[in-house]
Amino acid sequence: MFTLRVSDIGKHYGETLLFRNISFELHKGDVLAITGWNGAGKSTLLRILAGLVRPSAGAVEMFFNGKPVEKESRRRFIGMVAPAFSLYDELTGLENMEFFATVRGLSDGGDHCLDTLHRVGLSDHAGKTCRDYSSGMKQRLKLAQALLHEPPLLLLDEPGSNLDSRGITIVEEIIAEQRTLGVTVIASNEKREADYADRVFNLSE
Amino acid sequence: MPQTKSVKRTTRTESSTYLNEAIAIWFRDMRSEFRTRYALNAILMFAVTTLIAVSFAIGSFRIDESERPFLYAVLLWIILTFSALSGLSRSFVKEEEAGTIDVLKLSARPQAVFLGKLLFNLSLLGALGVVIVPTFILLMAYQINFPVFFTTMIITGCLGLGAGTTIIAAMIARASGRGALFSVLSLPLLLPLMITCIKGCERAAIGYDSAGWPEVKIAVAYVIIMITMSLFLFSLVWEE
Repeated sequence: MFTLRVSDIGKHYGETLLFRNISFELHKGDVLAITGWNGAGKSTLLRILAGLVRPSAGAVEMFFNGKPVEKESRRRFIGMVAPAFSLYDELTGLENMEFFATVRGLSDGGDHCLDTLHRVGLSDHAGKTCRDYSSGMKQRLKLAQALLHEPPLLLLDEPGSNLDSRGITIVEEIIAEQRTLGVTVIASNEKREADYADRVFNLSE
Repeated sequence: MPQTKSVKRTTRTESSTYLNEAIAIWFRDMRSEFRTRYALNAILMFAVTTLIAVSFAIGSFRIDESERPFLYAVLLWIILTFSALSGLSRSFVKEEEAGTIDVLKLSARPQAVFLGKLLFNLSLLGALGVVIVPTFILLMAYQINFPVFFTTMIITGCLGLGAGTTIIAAMIARASGRGALFSVLSLPLLLPLMITCIKGCERAAIGYDSAGWPEVKIAVAYVIIMITMSLFLFSLVWEE
């Protein structure tokens, strides 16, 4: 059982206030969409949830089976996809996945990497260098990387960007499957992506 | 047809040690480097060009024999240090420029990242040393009376060079004007090591009684201090 609790989060850069007093609590099965104008802070909020950016105020807490998750251990509970993220261009899709599986200490790395690539429709391109991937294939690989360790907290920043209709279907399936595993937070301005969620949080309001 | 496949979810076991993570990062960096040869080319080209320029300009006979041990040691460590500075920052800068740094932050523990990058930089320095030191000895007719002491000095010196530059590379990765900043920040940190290594190589060439090998001990202490401090401080540099 996974719980994400966000309490009075605020972020400002210098004197520019991005957002403040954001609080919510999500439990296993919940899907939250964060929407807002460009520059409203959707991506920053996701990066705060991932621990990549420190909030100016407030706190992010995670609980797994009722016990608080220490900050140092959180990376094992988080999978994230964002437009700013890249994977290693000079490696193949499979080599990328194997690297992340090894770093994360996954016990059955090899088979699981192929399974995960198959899940996002990239198994036929597993041996191709990422430099030769299209932008849609790169987005699929980013999704695979985020799903590799089956994280209870899935953070998706514009998950459908560059994806074709098959890719969109895959994202829908991933979000549906994540309901059985944990929490999903989606940052997007696409109405279709916001519709996946049970709750919508608009940062511009 | 979409190639989607429902995967039965199970609780995955994750067990990795710092060493496993560090080796995975080192191996990935090595694999990328073998395919792009960016850092290795930068370092070796700088080193070889400088070495050839020095050997043509000074050669082995333009320096008085009594001054050779000291001046050759100075020239050798200038070539090694500045060659290292020309490419070792790439380990972190490349992650930042390619946009892979956030994924790495979410996947690996900070100390493992530092150790992996340190291993990678040491591998590059090893390649640099293997190519440059024998070539320098040959081109400059560098006579060394204590080869074991000399070799140990080069190895410990390169370890120190790697340890010092890796933490600086992490610090400057997000800054603008990284190249200049890397050199400016590295030189004060590396100066005590350079002076020690020059002294040690001079002693090895002359053949002073090197009992106790004081310069090697200082270099080893430098390496231990730099790696220990870096492991403690790296989290602060790595996280925002």
